[in-house]
Amino acid sequence: MNPGGIAPARARDLSLWTDKKLPVLFIAPVVGILLALAIGPLLFIFITSFTSWELVSMAPPQFAWFGNYANILADGRFWNAMKNTLILLVGGVGLQLVLGLATALLLNREFRLKKLVTSLFLIPITIAPVVVGFQWRVIYHESFGPLNYIIRALHLGNGFAWLADTRTALFSILAAEVWQWTPFVTVVLLAGLQSISPRVYEAANVDGATPWQVFRRVTLPLLKPTVIIVALFRVMDVFKIFDLVFLLTGGGPGSASESVSLYTYINGFRYFSMGYATALAVIQLVIVTVICMRLVKMMRVGRA
Amino acid sequence: MKEREIRSSKSWQAALVYFTIGVLLLFNLFPVYWMFVGSVKQRGEFYTSPPVFVPKQLEWHNFSRALERGGAKGIKDSLVVAGSSAALAIVLGSLAAYSIARYRTGGDNLSFWILSIRMAPPIAGIIPIFILMRYAGLLDTYPALVLAYCLFNLPFAVWLIKGFFEDIPADIEGAALVDGFNRLQVFWRIALPLAVPALIVTGLFCFIFSWNEFLFALVLTRSRVTTLPVIISGMVGGHEIMWGEISALSVLTSLPVVILALLLQRYLVRGLTLGAMRG
Repeated sequence: MNPGGIAPARARDLSLWTDKKLPVLFIAPVVGILLALAIGPLLFIFITSFTSWELVSMAPPQFAWFGNYANILADGRFWNAMKNTLILLVGGVGLQLVLGLATALLLNREFRLKKLVTSLFLIPITIAPVVVGFQWRVIYHESFGPLNYIIRALHLGNGFAWLADTRTALFSILAAEVWQWTPFVTVVLLAGLQSISPRVYEAANVDGATPWQVFRRVTLPLLKPTVIIVALFRVMDVFKIFDLVFLLTGGGPGSASESVSLYTYINGFRYFSMGYATALAVIQLVIVTVICMRLVKMMRVGRA
Repeated sequence: MKEREIRSSKSWQAALVYFTIGVLLLFNLFPVYWMFVGSVKQRGEFYTSPPVFVPKQLEWHNFSRALERGGAKGIKDSLVVAGSSAALAIVLGSLAAYSIARYRTGGDNLSFWILSIRMAPPIAGIIPIFILMRYAGLLDTYPALVLAYCLFNLPFAVWLIKGFFEDIPADIEGAALVDGFNRLQVFWRIALPLAVPALIVTGLFCFIFSWNEFLFALVLTRSRVTTLPVIISGMVGGHEIMWGEISALSVLTSLPVVILALLLQRYLVRGLTLGAMRG
């Protein structure tokens, strides 16, 4: 009880001091690590984005003012990646919301083996995106994949070279993304549905509302905050999409299915253009921050 | 007569519900089924049309070959990285979470700042972290990945555990303070034991995130440390794709996570929405 031979009175002071400072001492490690891993890098990419820095040439970074940003704005490949990301975002999240809501309404009914079915629905979320990417490569395979086989068997056509065709590559990524994440939307919306008090429905029934009216006037408005939260989570995630694109198409053919994250990765770790890559990163950071602020606002309101 | 009509329309509805659920489950589980089937197919069975939907015999050698070709090391490295990262996250995260939940340290701004780090795009973090690790000589080591994973595991752990602490009534702790416990004793002897289930849930989530993570592992490691997603991606990019072996490794990668997630099912909504939804 007397470590390091501190006099008893001093030890008591020390323990009083620790006691008073305990909240700060407790939070210090996390704040310290996050400052080092997040704020340091944030400053770093911000500064680097104003330099021309090619890691392969061994030349030190040179100040380039807004050179990188000007180049990005004039870079057709960047805008293409941005367009692809937006297509995945609008199409992917849109489909996930529609399918997710429909499935949630279905699972909210009473039926046998409900618990088991709900568990089975969750499986896609848990699988590593890399594994999902590989599996869909197998499914999309032009000659031996089950998808083209089914298309041929149903006499719907000859199938596609899904991942190697400019017209279908991006769509194929979108389908895999929707497959993996619709269950997430489903379970969150299901939780939202279950938190709606049955009394509300009883009241609506007493008033003689039709099922469609109940859905349109009661369920949907009450579910709206949950829908917004889940949509923002998906928007934020899809905007950062990398693994699936990397595994399925590598951004190809050419750059037909490249996402902004992948284009940034290629600039940073294949061309080693750190200045350009960090400028791209700053742009994405700004966009995500805007979405994130909206989400955080929703979460704050939700708590109040 | 009328009652009968209602009943038959009810059973029609029920049939429709079961049918739709069946179709949806088929879509949901087919790729998973295809992965399992692929892991026990013989090499030749990958190059047939129509594809083999049910293999005639089970080729378990895919698993042993996958383990030999880096799979065993992948499992070990993934376990080490995901395990230590999860442990670090719950130790440091529970301290910070307690501080925020009970003493409102730093107010709302600090806690939402921590949350926003979780949401930042990883691609923005990876470039500076890569350069940092390069200068520190930590590339291709365990600490590089464990530290890097703090970036998303710590904010996650703080937020999730904070929610759990807020669910525990503070009265017990207040009473203990009056009884002469100091704040550290209250935390260690009263709050923490009550939060053990929460810590386990949080740790498992962090484990899953780290286990499945790809971008950081791809950039920060090369050959000394190789986690499962990086090995799978490398095998896919190889000259001749070893379908059976990759499928076997995919099964080995997915199975533990699927089992963990089913155990966590009650908390899944809460975890995946960072505590925004209680599920």
